[in-house]
Amino acid sequence: MTIKEKGYTHWDGEFLNKKLSWLPITRYGIKLTFRKKFFKLLFFLALTPAVLFLAGIYVAERMEDFQFMIREGEMPDFLNINPAYFKAYFTNDYILFMMVMILVFCGAGLISDDLKFNSLQLYFSRPITKRDYFLGKASVIVFFLFFVTLLPGLVFILMKLLFAASFEFLSTYPLLPFSVIGYSFLVTIFFAFYGLFLSSVNKNRRYVAILIFGLYIFSDILYGIFFGIFRNEYFALLSIKENLKQAGAFLFAQKLPHDIPWFLSFVIIAGFCILGAYVLKKKIRGVEVVK
Amino acid sequence: MKPVIEVQNLSRWYGNVLGLSDVTLQIEPGITGLLGPNGAGKSTFLRLITGQIKPNIGSVWISGQKVRNNYTLFQDLGVCPEQDSFYDELSGWQFLTGLLRLYHLSKSEILAKASKALDIVELTPDKDRVIRSYSRGMRQRLKVAQAIAHEPEILILDEPLNGLDPLSRRKIIRLIKSYKEEGKTIVVSSHVLPEIEAMTKRIILIHQGKIFAQGDIHYIRDLIESHPHIISIKCSRPRELVSKFIQHDFILKVNFIPDDDSLLVETNNRDKFFGLLPSLFVENNIEVFEVTSPDDNLQAVFDYLIGQ
Amino acid sequence: MTQSNVGKLKHLWNSVWDVFYFFFPLVRRARKSKVFYFISFLPVILAGIFKFSQIFTGHPRFEGIYIFSNMIMGFYLQFLILILALFYGTSVCSEELEGKTLTYLTTRPVPKSAIILGKYAAYTTLIALMVVFGLVFAFLILNVDDLLNFSLYKILFRSMAVLVLGLICYTAFFTMIGTFLKRSIMFGLIFSFGWENVIQYFPGSTQRFAIAHYLKSLLPTTQASEGFAFLLFRLEPTPPTLAVLILFLITAVFLTLACVIFSWQEYILQD
Repeated sequence: MTIKEKGYTHWDGEFLNKKLSWLPITRYGIKLTFRKKFFKLLFFLALTPAVLFLAGIYVAERMEDFQFMIREGEMPDFLNINPAYFKAYFTNDYILFMMVMILVFCGAGLISDDLKFNSLQLYFSRPITKRDYFLGKASVIVFFLFFVTLLPGLVFILMKLLFAASFEFLSTYPLLPFSVIGYSFLVTIFFAFYGLFLSSVNKNRRYVAILIFGLYIFSDILYGIFFGIFRNEYFALLSIKENLKQAGAFLFAQKLPHDIPWFLSFVIIAGFCILGAYVLKKKIRGVEVVK
Repeated sequence: MKPVIEVQNLSRWYGNVLGLSDVTLQIEPGITGLLGPNGAGKSTFLRLITGQIKPNIGSVWISGQKVRNNYTLFQDLGVCPEQDSFYDELSGWQFLTGLLRLYHLSKSEILAKASKALDIVELTPDKDRVIRSYSRGMRQRLKVAQAIAHEPEILILDEPLNGLDPLSRRKIIRLIKSYKEEGKTIVVSSHVLPEIEAMTKRIILIHQGKIFAQGDIHYIRDLIESHPHIISIKCSRPRELVSKFIQHDFILKVNFIPDDDSLLVETNNRDKFFGLLPSLFVENNIEVFEVTSPDDNLQAVFDYLIGQ
Repeated sequence: MTQSNVGKLKHLWNSVWDVFYFFFPLVRRARKSKVFYFISFLPVILAGIFKFSQIFTGHPRFEGIYIFSNMIMGFYLQFLILILALFYGTSVCSEELEGKTLTYLTTRPVPKSAIILGKYAAYTTLIALMVVFGLVFAFLILNVDDLLNFSLYKILFRSMAVLVLGLICYTAFFTMIGTFLKRSIMFGLIFSFGWENVIQYFPGSTQRFAIAHYLKSLLPTTQASEGFAFLLFRLEPTPPTLAVLILFLITAVFLTLACVIFSWQEYILQD
């Protein structure tokens, strides 16, 4: 009997042009995250600053009703609704911390669980490409982070216009919506790459959770130590948090928190995203049938 | 013979799901096969008798002692769990010697017992490879090795033949049988009847969390024999074949499926039917395309027995 | 104490040692430990950078011991020991459940408490060694020009003792958390970087509800730089002996609870 070698045959056809084939992955990821007991509490806590800032917008607009709370004739600085107010919301430590916590909850297991349970083959035996897979997973993170960035930002603008019943605010700060959208996309995309990259480095979700949180805190501590010793502002570039704050200040046209060129922070953020994309590409390739 | 394992009114629920219901039985030395389809409650029963989980109702004794939180029992008890999980970063040798250390043995004893166990399951040549690189069959054999390494008197094996090739399967079966010769007590679970049949005549049928039947394999075999079997035949001249079938009283019913040129035959004597079938094909010059038995599995037998 | 109790204790001790002996090499070689080796070694790299910069600039901006103290406060106490204790402490039980390897341990003739104590001892030893090695090397590099000043060694040993004590205490707490909480990491992060970080700055007795308070009470020096001065904000130190006693007491309580929970809790390994 002749034994013929029968190796793998790589399918060379083209997938049907299904534009949203990543959507089920996202939907499933979101559903799974919401099933986690403590997540709802965490999500609620992450949204509280948005409620407070929204209340601030209302108070600022209806100052005459709240005269009893302030010294006569003086409008507190923090109640000036301007790009600085928006920057204060978007770049405050609490919001960034909560974003990392959300990432720990919804992002840690996104790829690591697939690696642990060998589910990648299941994904790629469906008509989806690697891009769809990443897009689907990243969209889970984007979905949750937009709830604390883009959505509140746009709601703030909308409510300000509604409370004031005029478009004066927009004519005074015409670039503000773009700043909100720009910063929201920047921070969300960065955290999506950050979360997926770390989620792909290990099969153990607990380990990934520690890495996501630890790296964020560690980068800040490193900056603290170096800055404490050398007193050089450039060490802020070591800190994820400081880079995001620097980028945020630039996008909202505010005074930069560190006396260093703004573009360096953008380079660091972009560099991290590129590194993340590269590692993801390498990591996920390993389990595909090689041509 | 004095029973080694005794369980009384053992019941266990997982939330609303019934895992095991009111099981009372005694297991004596020798091999006892626990047979049932997937999800029948075999693993729940084995986890209960090894104290891994608590019963909601009932109690378990091994050698007259309560099981739960009684670690001294495990000096003489070997357990092969169902899960295919290991400390993957260890080699087979490190895994085995590490676990043997927990029996408070001397170093020389540990080495001797580990070598012996690896020899038995034929993993000695691969003992220094990390477990992560083992094949499914090798992992299964290592699991058996860790259960037998300390030479226990009682062995609880949860699906030990899963993932083994026929040769390894035969070897493990032979090994289990050799333990019987030494007077040990072995409880082994499977959902494959011939596997259990090859090891023991004493079986416990478990289904939907209940002990359905317990006793000699022949009794179960008789039940199975009386179970009407359905056989599907695809051939060139099915109508002609039908005319030949009706002469035999062990053929109860024939359904003709014209679209497919196939027949569904119901018989209460499988052996006689399969003895007859080839001669009918040859004598009548009928071309056969396919003969299948759609209900030839344990679940079908259970369904039939329950229906009875 | 009766003879049978002594026998039981001896058996427990032997079992703990056997479990330790199984897990110590395992965790030492584990892939996941490599990142933590690197992080623990970072202070040595940082110390090297500081020392080189001092040599190149020619004028030391700060003394080595000053930088060392800042490292203890900023890096070790606020980050490293928390992260190490959190990961390894919760791993004691959780990794057996996640890896479905628990059956291999609970079907051996060792008490369940010995499994917890043995693994706890193995993991704590490893992380203590990680911390101590990094600390000693960093100290030596930072004080290379003052190595004959023996008063500095007192600071080193005291810092070392405080950090090891911190690891012992935090790991015991996280071991206990890991025995009954499925999402122990989340809780641990909130405890470490939320509760511990906030409550230690509260005035009066409130700060005594944080483990960090007792560790800070034991630290040998209070000369933190401006960058880390906030860490000593409102510290009302507990007397050292009492602080040590409380830390040991906390450890004992958490470990006992971990053993009790692990013995009675039912773990269902899901397929």
